[in-house]
Amino acid sequence: MERIGIVGYHQVRPELDLQMSPYECIFTAVRGALDHAGLKRKDITTVISATNDYYDGKTISNCFKVSAGGAYMKDESKVEMDGAHAAQYAMFRILSQNHKLAMVYGFSMPSCMPFECTRILELDPTFDRPISLMNSYSTCGMQMRAYMKKYGVSEEQIAEATATNWKNAAKNPLALQEAQKADMTAAEVLKSDYLASPLRELMYPLLGDGCTALILAPEKQALKITDNPVWITGVGNCQETYYFGERDLTTSLSMEKASEAAYKMAGVKPSDIDVAELFGYTACEDIILAESAGLAEKGKGDSLVAKGCLNPSGGATSGMTPCATGLNRIIEAVKQLKGEAEEHQVSGVKKAIASGQIGFCAQNNIIYVLEGGN
Amino acid sequence: MPLPDYEKKQYKVTRTMPGAWYLSNYKYKFNLSRMRIMLRGFKEGKILGVKCRGCNHVSFPPKLICGRCLVMPDQWVTLPDTGSVATGSGSPRTDQETGEIVIDPVILVRQDGADTVWIHNLPENYSFHDVYIGMPIKVHWAEELKGLWSDIEYYDPIEDMGDKINKEELAKK
Amino acid sequence: MCAKVQPAVISAGFCEHASKRSDVNMAELVNEAVEDTITKAGIEWKDIDCVINGNMPAFEGANIPELWMTDHMASKNKPFLRVTTGGTTGGSVTIAGYYAIASGMYETVLAIGFEQQSCGDTSMGLASVALGEFSIMPELGYEYNKIVSNMGAGAAIGIASYQAMSYMRRSRATEEDLARVVVQNRRNAAKNWYTHLKMPTVTIEDVLDTPYISFPLRYGMVCPATDGACAMLFTTEEKARQIADIPVYVNGVGSYSNESAVLAADCAGAGQVDPSEQLGAMKSAEVAYGQAGISFPNKEIDYAEVYAPFPNQELMWVERVGLFEENTAAEAYEQGITALNGELPINCSGGVNSTNAIGASAMERPAEAALQIMGKAGNQVPKTVHTALGHGWGGAVNLITHLVMSDEPQRKFKGGR
Ligand SMILES: [Zn+2]
Repeated sequence: MERIGIVGYHQVRPELDLQMSPYECIFTAVRGALDHAGLKRKDITTVISATNDYYDGKTISNCFKVSAGGAYMKDESKVEMDGAHAAQYAMFRILSQNHKLAMVYGFSMPSCMPFECTRILELDPTFDRPISLMNSYSTCGMQMRAYMKKYGVSEEQIAEATATNWKNAAKNPLALQEAQKADMTAAEVLKSDYLASPLRELMYPLLGDGCTALILAPEKQALKITDNPVWITGVGNCQETYYFGERDLTTSLSMEKASEAAYKMAGVKPSDIDVAELFGYTACEDIILAESAGLAEKGKGDSLVAKGCLNPSGGATSGMTPCATGLNRIIEAVKQLKGEAEEHQVSGVKKAIASGQIGFCAQNNIIYVLEGGN
Repeated sequence: MPLPDYEKKQYKVTRTMPGAWYLSNYKYKFNLSRMRIMLRGFKEGKILGVKCRGCNHVSFPPKLICGRCLVMPDQWVTLPDTGSVATGSGSPRTDQETGEIVIDPVILVRQDGADTVWIHNLPENYSFHDVYIGMPIKVHWAEELKGLWSDIEYYDPIEDMGDKINKEELAKK
Repeated sequence: MCAKVQPAVISAGFCEHASKRSDVNMAELVNEAVEDTITKAGIEWKDIDCVINGNMPAFEGANIPELWMTDHMASKNKPFLRVTTGGTTGGSVTIAGYYAIASGMYETVLAIGFEQQSCGDTSMGLASVALGEFSIMPELGYEYNKIVSNMGAGAAIGIASYQAMSYMRRSRATEEDLARVVVQNRRNAAKNWYTHLKMPTVTIEDVLDTPYISFPLRYGMVCPATDGACAMLFTTEEKARQIADIPVYVNGVGSYSNESAVLAADCAGAGQVDPSEQLGAMKSAEVAYGQAGISFPNKEIDYAEVYAPFPNQELMWVERVGLFEENTAAEAYEQGITALNGELPINCSGGVNSTNAIGASAMERPAEAALQIMGKAGNQVPKTVHTALGHGWGGAVNLITHLVMSDEPQRKFKGGR
């Protein structure tokens, strides 16, 4: 695959109740990304958005966002998944050689929507929805229980990883202010109430309003725009089955297949990866995804968190914006590769991975292999 | 009218679970900074549009973002109180008293000097058959100006000089 | 460096459409179309590398329904994308399928569009397009009854009636002309196996006899609400030659969007002064024709499927995408140029006017166009079709999809971007 350069990005810092209208928020991110890359709107040839009608509370929510997203008289489309999936569609468009520069943005405003209710609408409507036992909390709880049981991982180990995420978020200037808890301890995590045993309140991320934009360019253009672009050298995407009965929750089949494809495309081995920015709802899910991506032995993933090479930005814990979290992970990985992540910089990063997901217990995973340097 | 030869196929009925989407749980956020200035203008009997410095497009009601230049326009211009019908439609409703179906005209108004349109009405009982595209109209202000959208009650049709000349010329022939 | 890959369509399939498919659930409905496509192509489920799909989620009360429909879409353990853009969903999914192949990343891509409107509330779904805007209007002093009367016609039908007024004013088309389009569509639909409104004997008088829904559109002119699904199979040029008898090459795509019409974000003025002007459609057509190397669309295109739930739009689109001179479409319909055996047949499948499963409709246009080139359409035109067009619109008449297909691959010229 031809390398694709990430030449500009901007993230609106998430807030619990952002004082911006949705269109203003998108405008800020898109304008910011253009300014970051030093480009003009007319340079962009295609715009791919990642929003969800259920998160916006209106049908065809993208039809009014055309102006704000800079897509007026541009080849435009929308991917109703995570922002990371939208970036893959933008890659399709660039690799086809029909387009030069692609703008990707992911946006949602959880302060305006009942997020957990919209997640219930993702369930199978004939069985799972009426019995109303499955939701974000209970599925995360089931996954955590299954993982702990199979590998003999204790609740303290998960709590320790969770506390590290909160502490990492404190070093991340773009994290939700409420998520920046520099003095969080495992004991405090274990003291919080159960959402769905063994999932506790402090193990589940806070939702923040925000928007993230990313500009992708083909190799030639990227080198013209910036001296040190970050390259996407591999991408893998996989969706496994929905039914929990068929899935092994202690691992992620979709992540295994997706990462396999991405590594193959990039020609790298899991051991080459220096930093992983993965989108998991909980610290436990982060660990499961990292293990499935081949970064650690099964059941030993929590050592990655301790070492600081898994989610140095805090991951989804640093503030989860549905539809934008995957893009945030990509941006954080890009910052690590460029050496621009100030306080949470990991030293000597050459290759990184970033992932996005949708569905319960990461039913669909998309993973990118990112490399720095010319 | 019974539709002719429309075959309606009968299928077996299985269990149906209706999907529900409770929109009442949602909130919507707005940036009213531009709208407030327009409404303040209404209170003084002024019609304010906002002009983009990049492309000189004037929008009324004011836009927050100019999609053409991707900037926030901030240059305020006073527009005349006249406009024209950009296009229109008729919305049928049942009269409460007589039970008859009345068709009210609903029009898209392009204020003179603006490059955008907005939905508005004509005087009550104005026949929608008389509405045509390009029809000149004028703002009908409410008696008391409160700084609200309803300050412009409706648009009055005014004499169409162009149309009059056309008709006179037709009559001569 | 990988070169640009020429995408081709090797198969397209449908499920049976009806107003209520209560014999199947959404997943089974989709599965019918997928089965039809894969069986016709003569390949197996495991040969598919990537699945792209979409529908309008708000209509069924199910968010991202593919999650639980994975197994029914031949997409288990495969790369998967969901593309939704309102009315153009089907077209956007088709274009995504094109790009997935053109990027060289995947070899066989299944594109699916579906909608089961009977299990949701379509009018509620459509009314929610501008629900946010409606909710702030009373606070700004917009009277409630005015919102109801001005926007009540709202959504698709409201915009279409403004568009109809503009178009009829410009082109001098009459209501009779609109009715003629409806009659052509519904009579064509009667000859196509999967369609919804089959009316082989409907006349212009019948249509003009129905009451107004929103002036100048009448009940008899408006599209139905349908349950249905459509699927298309994309592959590379080399593979298509091995699999299909007549592969259909997708040579040009465009989906350029304009500002919204009638109402804009945050209750602001709408940028489209004349909703029948359609800059986006013209630009999309221009780009797609440019990619396909078509200079004279009115001469070079043999068959067209345009997305027209309302008859005035069909007249407008065929002019806007360059198939007819300005303001001459109504005349062409009267002369029978657009009929099944005419010079330039249009919407011989019955069009959206007869079958509107929203998420699938915009995909059924390129699918039907491809089938006409293959010679396998339900209502096949007698003449040979070499180049055909599939078009879609959605949103606040601002989103457009445009695909040009041909039985010959694109003439490539080597050179940079
Ligand atoms: Zn401007």
